[in-house]
Amino acid sequence: MSISNYKAEFEKMLNRDYFSKSLHTYRKEAFAQLEKTGFPTRKWEDWRFTNVSIISDGKYKISEISDAPQTTPNIDSYQMEGVDTVVIYNGHYQKELSSVPDGVALLSGLEHFERKNGKFETANNSPFDLLNTAFTDSGMCIVVEKDTQVEIPIRILFISNGVRSIMVNPRVYIDVAESSSLTFMEHHAGDAESFFQNESVFISLENNAQFNHIRIQSNSEFTQNIASINVNQDADSQYHFWQLVDGGKLGRSNICVQLNGENAQCYINSLALSKNNQHIDNNIIVNHNSPQTHSSQFVKSILFDTSTGVFNGRTVVHKNAQKITANQTNKNLLLSKKAKMNSNPQLEIYADDVKCSHGSTTGQIDEDALFYLQSRGINKQDAMELMVIGFANEVLDKIPHPEIKKAIHTEFTVKLNRLMA
Amino acid sequence: MIKIENLNVNVEEKEILKGINLEVKPGELHVIMGRNGTGKSTLANVLVGKEKYIVTNGTVSFNGENLLDMSPEDRACAGLFLSFQYPVAIPGVNNMYFLKAAVNAVRKSRGEEEIDAVDFLSMIREKLKMVDLDESFIHRPVNDGFSGGEKKRNEILQMITLEPKLSILDETDSGLDIDALKIVAKGVNDFRSPNRSFILITHYQRILNYMKPDFVHILMNGKIVKSGTMELAKEVEKKGYSWIEEEVAEVA
Repeated sequence: MSISNYKAEFEKMLNRDYFSKSLHTYRKEAFAQLEKTGFPTRKWEDWRFTNVSIISDGKYKISEISDAPQTTPNIDSYQMEGVDTVVIYNGHYQKELSSVPDGVALLSGLEHFERKNGKFETANNSPFDLLNTAFTDSGMCIVVEKDTQVEIPIRILFISNGVRSIMVNPRVYIDVAESSSLTFMEHHAGDAESFFQNESVFISLENNAQFNHIRIQSNSEFTQNIASINVNQDADSQYHFWQLVDGGKLGRSNICVQLNGENAQCYINSLALSKNNQHIDNNIIVNHNSPQTHSSQFVKSILFDTSTGVFNGRTVVHKNAQKITANQTNKNLLLSKKAKMNSNPQLEIYADDVKCSHGSTTGQIDEDALFYLQSRGINKQDAMELMVIGFANEVLDKIPHPEIKKAIHTEFTVKLNRLMA
Repeated sequence: MIKIENLNVNVEEKEILKGINLEVKPGELHVIMGRNGTGKSTLANVLVGKEKYIVTNGTVSFNGENLLDMSPEDRACAGLFLSFQYPVAIPGVNNMYFLKAAVNAVRKSRGEEEIDAVDFLSMIREKLKMVDLDESFIHRPVNDGFSGGEKKRNEILQMITLEPKLSILDETDSGLDIDALKIVAKGVNDFRSPNRSFILITHYQRILNYMKPDFVHILMNGKIVKSGTMELAKEVEKKGYSWIEEEVAEVA
């Protein structure tokens, strides 16, 4: 698929006077490269089960000033206790609604660029990463300096609203310095009638840093949501990721973790709840580049109706990465005969002293377990719900911060109740 | 309590039960013994309403109601309980949450108010002591990663918590070490009362050293072929089943 459908939008963006020209070189390079590679098609190995033609057809337009709210938007329905929130509305930063916790510095994309002495950080040059580089709009950077324990979680609330087909490309850098800790949450919500969000997140964890990353994707069912999350971990750092995806028409999370220092650990947990013809795809790569590192992938999906899902998990253990431990678990619950899941856990091991395991199960509700609950007086409907919630709880119960956990539980059970009613 | 008349049951089109007659009155403990494959577990499962067990003939009346017309959950709410031979693990479902849902379902069916969390916890603590289980036990997922003995004690915990009128214990004693067996037997004995009844299905006479049955029945080839008292169980223990088989053959 050709990127030329987006050429006019790209020219329009370059002429915007409120975008710094200092990034234009990178934008142009990325766009030129994207013109060569094109958007992925189903012939690409990593995109075999995911069709992005709705995006490559080129109907999305960049977000204009007129797509920003004309007055302060009402975000009551997205309020969450115990967190500080930064609001991005259709790609536009809402300063008056935003606050950050003590210990966190929030920089603009440009300030970040200057902080890095004009070095532009990017990831793997995959098509959507290039698209993000070319079209970056809401760029920002969260910095936590050395030895800083940030108590209050920071949330970026991405709201997508309106009737126009908008494309938004947020780019978030998070730098957590040595021996510091932070809980970061990205919350994607809104009632947009046609929307495409393509975010890129770059997380850098220095030695001994601890980072919790919570992601809720509950956009409208007319949203295409692609996320590229890149994590670089130094020695003794910990990365904990929890994701709940229950919104969007198409959801694709590309998660790529580099365990670069000894004893770096990453724990990736994800739960998807899909209905109608939703398609939710998790594409995870963990690279063990250093000895004594640890990773786990624990990914679950609950599929209703004709929805489809993909788990593509790859753990690569490089040659010198001895004594590492890694596991991958993918469990899927099909609640309709027409739902479909593609699961592909892969281990690539080049070291010889490692402990790795992987497993994948896909099935329907366990009839014997259902009967067991019924035989204790619980009616079939409630028993089913109890079991589905139990299935989900194996992911959700481990979420830190009681307020966030409660909010996510509520989000999940409300959606589930609607589906099971 | 329960009256089973001429009950015939098929499993996957094979006739397993061939005319069972059994009446259990309030307060009674009946033991059903028999070799493997004689239909003991089929009887237990058909009474609680498991789908693949098809009743082809006969009636079961439970406290005056037609049991076979009721859904599994309604049977439980009406006071019927089965301690499963192989309790299923339900990962992710917290044992306490499950027990509370079950207690409230039963209460709701009786038109009673739901129990609140504090009252429930203090009640469950008492019950846990009765089956010698630690409190951490109820915070684990239902039967998930439980040892054999823990699973059986969890069944007894559910029984004494739900307080059924008729409890069917399907080989609850099988595979238990002697300490676990004593705990299970004590759980049942403490729970006995003039208005509660039990059907104990077993392979082994051993548990009868700790329980006093009112009647003992021998199940053979889908039929109750001999009934008696504790003496009958002792005879089976001593002589095995073949003498009964011979008796049955002679009559036929």
